[in-house]
Amino acid sequence: METQKSKMALTDASLLITEACVKAGADAFIGYPITPSNKFYSYGSLRFPLFLAGPDEITVLQWMSGLSAAGKLPVTSTAFPGLALMAETFNMAYMMELPMLVIVTQRLGPSTGSATTGAQGDLSFINGLISGGFPIPVFCPSNFEDAWTLAEESIKTSVNLRTPVILLTSKEMVMTQKSFDLTKLHDIKPVDRTPKNIKLPYKTYFADETLVPPFIPVANNKHLVRLNSSTHDDEGMIQKNSPNALANTKRLKDKIENSIDKYLFYELDNESTNEHLIVTYGISAGACRDAVKELRKNNVKVSLLVVKTILPVAPKIISIIESYNNIYFVEENIGGQYKEIIFGKQHKSNVYQVNKMGHMINPDDVIKAFNL
Amino acid sequence: MKSEILTGKKMPFCPGCGHGVVVNNISKALSELGYNPLDIIIVSDIGCSGLVDPLFATHTVHGLHGRAPALGLGVAMGLNDRSKKVIVIQGDGGATIGLQHLLEAARRNIDITLLVFNNLLYGMTGGQISGLSTDKFKEMRQVEEGIPPFDIVKLAHQAGAMSSARVLSPVNFTESIKHAVETPGFSLLELASVCPSYGLQKIKELDEFSQEADALLNNRKVNEVNYRTTTSLLNFVKEIPILYPTKIEDNYRILLAGSAGGGIQLAAELLAKAGMYAGLHATMKGEYPVTVGTGFSVAEVILSKNHINYTGLDAPDVIFVMTEDGLEKVQKYLNNGTSVYADDIVNFECQTKITKPFSRKVGKRSAILSAIAYWIEENDIIPINAFIEAIKPHKHSELLIKAIETPI
Repeated sequence: METQKSKMALTDASLLITEACVKAGADAFIGYPITPSNKFYSYGSLRFPLFLAGPDEITVLQWMSGLSAAGKLPVTSTAFPGLALMAETFNMAYMMELPMLVIVTQRLGPSTGSATTGAQGDLSFINGLISGGFPIPVFCPSNFEDAWTLAEESIKTSVNLRTPVILLTSKEMVMTQKSFDLTKLHDIKPVDRTPKNIKLPYKTYFADETLVPPFIPVANNKHLVRLNSSTHDDEGMIQKNSPNALANTKRLKDKIENSIDKYLFYELDNESTNEHLIVTYGISAGACRDAVKELRKNNVKVSLLVVKTILPVAPKIISIIESYNNIYFVEENIGGQYKEIIFGKQHKSNVYQVNKMGHMINPDDVIKAFNL
Repeated sequence: MKSEILTGKKMPFCPGCGHGVVVNNISKALSELGYNPLDIIIVSDIGCSGLVDPLFATHTVHGLHGRAPALGLGVAMGLNDRSKKVIVIQGDGGATIGLQHLLEAARRNIDITLLVFNNLLYGMTGGQISGLSTDKFKEMRQVEEGIPPFDIVKLAHQAGAMSSARVLSPVNFTESIKHAVETPGFSLLELASVCPSYGLQKIKELDEFSQEADALLNNRKVNEVNYRTTTSLLNFVKEIPILYPTKIEDNYRILLAGSAGGGIQLAAELLAKAGMYAGLHATMKGEYPVTVGTGFSVAEVILSKNHINYTGLDAPDVIFVMTEDGLEKVQKYLNNGTSVYADDIVNFECQTKITKPFSRKVGKRSAILSAIAYWIEENDIIPINAFIEAIKPHKHSELLIKAIETPI
């Protein structure tokens, strides 16, 4: 096989994510400005077939829900303050089973915090975003290749599972320009939106064994569509807690968790022994990759797991983590949010944490955890 | 009575509730206008008015409290098809909590109809007053708030609604609804309703306790959204080939510090590209206050022979200090043996600094380019031609190249 000549360029992950979304079939960007997510707004205004400037984040997600109900595939970007405003509507879109993508660029909190300082502090909030403890597919790019691939997968997963999806990034990921080989970008084809296996008469939320109801846009001329944010049966009719409605609600959890292997992405750089495993995601992955090189030079048998489908937590991820003797969670927040999602508050003597706030975790921070 | 527009299901409202009257009039109006149910999308809110979905044989979308006008607007913009009609239904509580959405929909003037069932209270939660409860109604309820209701008809009109009206008598409902639905653009119709459980009992009380009937028109262009054809963003990403050699064997971390308007971010980008022309990997990131037009401007550049994983810059190899603003941001890195190149307008003590009159020679905006060029030539890190190559595509390249070629 011929090796393609590299094509180096100075670019950023915001551009790659925007382009990948459109190539994958997203067709509307609804923006409300917020630092450090504004590059998406700029690129979105140039690239998406439809661009709308929303007056606030609640309206943004409501418009997106309407657009999605009508068959469009909308995208927005925000940061924590905006995501907090979107929380109720995100639940609505989740309950209505509307495909869309929300890109979240993490910045230092709490509250408005520091808009131009990076962080990895929103994972716990997103993990609990859906009332009732329902899972959201959340992808987390660790480098520019991931930005391209996971943006595509975010769009495709939102369609294939008929659900809102979150792409979780950080200021350092989307505002840093970096030399990048454009030949590493694989071709992206638009997601197939043809509804399959429609059982007549069409019921908006009736699903076969895939647990995903075929999506038909509202206002079509053949089938009656009833979308509903409240507890509803498979016809979309509001119900208090009928068996049909509760089964339909439970299906929302099952459709996402049961198919996790279809959208599970991770990178395991495995050493020969199961002695040490560094677990990380997103912007902390770069420092961990460098740290692993240094640790191995010092004969430390260390493996690295970079989790890219960060939520829901896949059984495969758990089994990898559990197969190591010592586990080091590296994440840029003060509590260790991913560690807590995996292990809870319980102290475990073989689980270590590298956390930092207000500055990126650097390779030395990771190396220090090994007490060389 | 079942009609084509309604499913014939039993009304879910309390006995004597005015909402049933409104629903029947909507059905009558749509039937008389000849609508096919599948050309109608009813978008409902939360509250008693939000119970209407099962009554309609049309498409239905049941959303959140107060948000239905925004949701309905989204549906209309997604369809972008005037043969389909989005009708949004909400109560006075919904209009209160979601007033911004109502005004935004009026401002946009996309073709949707908003019907507000105003029974002057929150019926589903126990009869609490809303933002549309009138003074007289509140007096009757012994709520002496002393705050007047929103006049959503006037507010919508002022925001640009094509048509906005308040109708008190049910005998006028059908014709008013027909007018609102037929009006192109955004139309709002507030329909008075009784709530026997918590509020007014009789239709004849509506005149006494409601705001006055009203009907306002704007003559505006009806807006539609524009779906464009666009080209790939990658078309704007310029390939940077390797044209020059470099002496860097490991990596070089460079910190540029100055003030807003001093070209720091541009210089950092050009330096990163220059490194790439010399076959290096590069990262560049900026830091500046949220108010970008004033205060400090700092940029970090990493040039490396190897792929860069960690993009942070903890220990710079060289620092450029162009202004007092910049000095303050990089103070902690000084006097650590790091090379420092400073403009002579900045006064500070540092044993490893080289001070030159960059800004006095080439001006404040180009001083950083001059300083970088001086550093490149003095240290032979990368060829100066690599830096010039990076500058060439810039619209002011002649000016910028002149600055770096000016002897210091």
